[in-house]
Amino acid sequence: MDYILHVLVMVALFAILATSFNLLIGYSGLFALSHAAFFGIGAYATAIVALKLGLPFPIPLLMGLAVTAVAGVVVALPALRISGDYLVIVSLALQVIVIAVMLNWTGLTGGTDGIRGIPRIQILGASLDTAAKFLPLAVIVAALCYWGSWRVGASPFGRALKAMRENEAAAQAAGKNIVAMKLAVFAIAAALASVAGSLYAQYVTFISADSFTLELTIYVLAMVILGGTGNLAGSLVGAALLVVLPELLKFVDLPPDIADKLRQLFYGVLLIVMLRLRPQGLLPESASAHHYLAPAVRPRVDRPIAAAALEGRGLEKRFGGIVAVSKLDLALAPGRITGLIGPNGAGKTTAFNLLTGFIEPDAGEVAYRGRLLKGLKPHRIVRLGIARSFQDLKLFTRLTVLENVLVALPRQRGDHLAYVYFTPWAVASEERANLGRAMAILEFVGLQQRAAEPAADLSYAEEKLLAVARLLATDAEVLLFDEPLSGLAPNTLREMQPIFRRLADSGRTLAIIEHNLDVIRELCDTAVFLDEGRKLAQDTPERLMQDPVLAERYFK
Amino acid sequence: MDLVLQLLVNGLVNGSHYALLGLSFGLIFGTTRITHFAYGSLYALSAYACWWVTAKLGLPLVAGFAAGIAAGAAAGLLSYGLLYRPFERAGSPPLVILIASLGLFIVVENAIGIVFGTDTKVVPSPPASLFLVGPAAFTSVQLAQLGALVVIVLGLWLFLSQTRFGRAVRAQTDNPEMATIIGIDTVRLSALVFALGSAIAAVPACLILVKDGGTAYMGFLAVFMGFVAVVVGGIGSLRGAVAGGYALGLVESLGLWKIPSEWQSTIAFVVLFMVLLFRPQGLFAGRQ
Repeated sequence: MDYILHVLVMVALFAILATSFNLLIGYSGLFALSHAAFFGIGAYATAIVALKLGLPFPIPLLMGLAVTAVAGVVVALPALRISGDYLVIVSLALQVIVIAVMLNWTGLTGGTDGIRGIPRIQILGASLDTAAKFLPLAVIVAALCYWGSWRVGASPFGRALKAMRENEAAAQAAGKNIVAMKLAVFAIAAALASVAGSLYAQYVTFISADSFTLELTIYVLAMVILGGTGNLAGSLVGAALLVVLPELLKFVDLPPDIADKLRQLFYGVLLIVMLRLRPQGLLPESASAHHYLAPAVRPRVDRPIAAAALEGRGLEKRFGGIVAVSKLDLALAPGRITGLIGPNGAGKTTAFNLLTGFIEPDAGEVAYRGRLLKGLKPHRIVRLGIARSFQDLKLFTRLTVLENVLVALPRQRGDHLAYVYFTPWAVASEERANLGRAMAILEFVGLQQRAAEPAADLSYAEEKLLAVARLLATDAEVLLFDEPLSGLAPNTLREMQPIFRRLADSGRTLAIIEHNLDVIRELCDTAVFLDEGRKLAQDTPERLMQDPVLAERYFK
Repeated sequence: MDLVLQLLVNGLVNGSHYALLGLSFGLIFGTTRITHFAYGSLYALSAYACWWVTAKLGLPLVAGFAAGIAAGAAAGLLSYGLLYRPFERAGSPPLVILIASLGLFIVVENAIGIVFGTDTKVVPSPPASLFLVGPAAFTSVQLAQLGALVVIVLGLWLFLSQTRFGRAVRAQTDNPEMATIIGIDTVRLSALVFALGSAIAAVPACLILVKDGGTAYMGFLAVFMGFVAVVVGGIGSLRGAVAGGYALGLVESLGLWKIPSEWQSTIAFVVLFMVLLFRPQGLFAGRQ
């Protein structure tokens, strides 16, 4: 009986590890191999505080939590500017350093002997010295941790994490501060792992570096993959299965060493087989919002506003020796559609990147409403009201159409963890209103029927519409469209053009990069001709196209 | 001063070892963009093949090395064909392929442990001779480690610059899309690179086996140091990987001058952190 209760305690502890790891890899796409290290830091910090300072529960746990959250941020720091492979190696390095500290800082950690005789948790004078007495605490803490992860996962912040996972540039273009998000999710995941470590230390009363190796991270990884990435309930299932199933090996007569290796071999095989046959896991990721919950109120999408002109002055950008943009002056007038035309490589997209902060100009400045945008990150510029779309769309393909729009809505309280945790009701009512806004935008572009579909399942024309919808969701006054109409059939073109006209007529500032001169002629009030990074001319489309020199250049 | 000189010598020797790891890991990583974490356990597999042939079958060390290299090449080829290629064909994102690679890593590592046990494997090595260069000393294995790097770098350079396949590898590393457009068979190329990279990795594996013995767990440090050398040097540059390997070896060894030896491995990771914080494109990358 005690044995079964012990297994249940371990299920509770691993449930904490698996759900917090899922926040990192499943929700955020941040693949860090340092979860065992976070678990270990929590355990060692607790052991040292409880044993050497003799402080009572929950002080050791809280101190472990603080130390580990800092360690989480330390891993995230070098990974902020760069991601993917670099994060893997940095987190692995942290894992190795943590083990080295455990083994070598003998005075503090006991070195290879580990730490023995860690005091048990005392609650109301009772010592939790058996599995039966420990289990209620483990379950309560695990439930709290699950709630903590679930609040993050189910909130608009969690949706923003998934958007960041799908495409970082597009998440920035949707106004998300991805640096702050990465730091926050690392701190939370690390802190939760440390809670598991803290309980573990005071439960087993003996810890050593062997318990916190990379193998443990792979074990937890197997739980997350089995249960389903991006689904926290899946991680509970994965943890339960992978704690209980290997226990069955105990009933086979094997030397413990071999049994241990067989278990690990099984986790490895499980990882590969799951990824081949069912990469979404037992419980796949589900949508975070549903169109049928949207209120009937639909705010008007093209409500009149008074935008201002966006001005770029003397913009210069070189890549290596190549001049991408040179002495470029652009003034995009409000209520107008400005077309950017010119041959491939003329610097049109670079101009958009410069205007929206995705790249810093070597010289020149961008001004909006009398304010210089110098040095502002893309998400700050979006919040000031200047947004752009991408030529290659960069949709959040594994999110639904509705989620793609929702995530880009501006000024969401749900993007801030303080609101998510402390005023969940305010976040929920805001979310309801936002559902109405998102559906209004989808109706505006004509995608409301597809709201519940994953963006990956859209047709080419629908993808183009969704890119427009997501841009509108930012509520920006200045809208920069990078080839929103390229490759569309003529009848689709005719259906989409009025969208841009209505937006300009409502007072917004629009710019469109487009190769199809007929579209430019029908849609644009003025057109800028770029070639080799320079502005050669600006005039009405009609007059520009009559210029034989430009025509020559364009069709050369 | 003599101590510093000896540390320098050791740093160069270890640097050659790390450079070989960086070169082989970087060749695979740079060309295929697959984070081949299982590299580590294939490395261990090569060492075990060498041990089997020399210690169990009693054949000379040369045969052991040949067996190690052959085993490495075969395992590399199989890992691509049976594991990575199916994922690539299914269009799996890099993250999924990396996790699968971790899976293979842990499978092979534990399989080795189950089949051969966890004791340290040693090979009957030739009598160690000591060479003196001024006040510093080399053992014959250390000399072999230095020599192996020189031979392999020269061979690889000839291969990459003189053969059709080698030029295709370089094209693929520089610009994968372009390589496909100009009609390079990227699947065959990746298979070749996996075989070649794993074969090269077998050489440092066998040398370490002779020097320190081998265990089932020897692969982790190998893939880790190879990866670090590549990142420190700059991803996509084989020259950088070699330079990164030497930088690691030298910093680690010279660090011992002032730092207790048990912290030796930690020094490399501090270097990595610093490089990523201040020069994320790598120390020796010519271009971004």
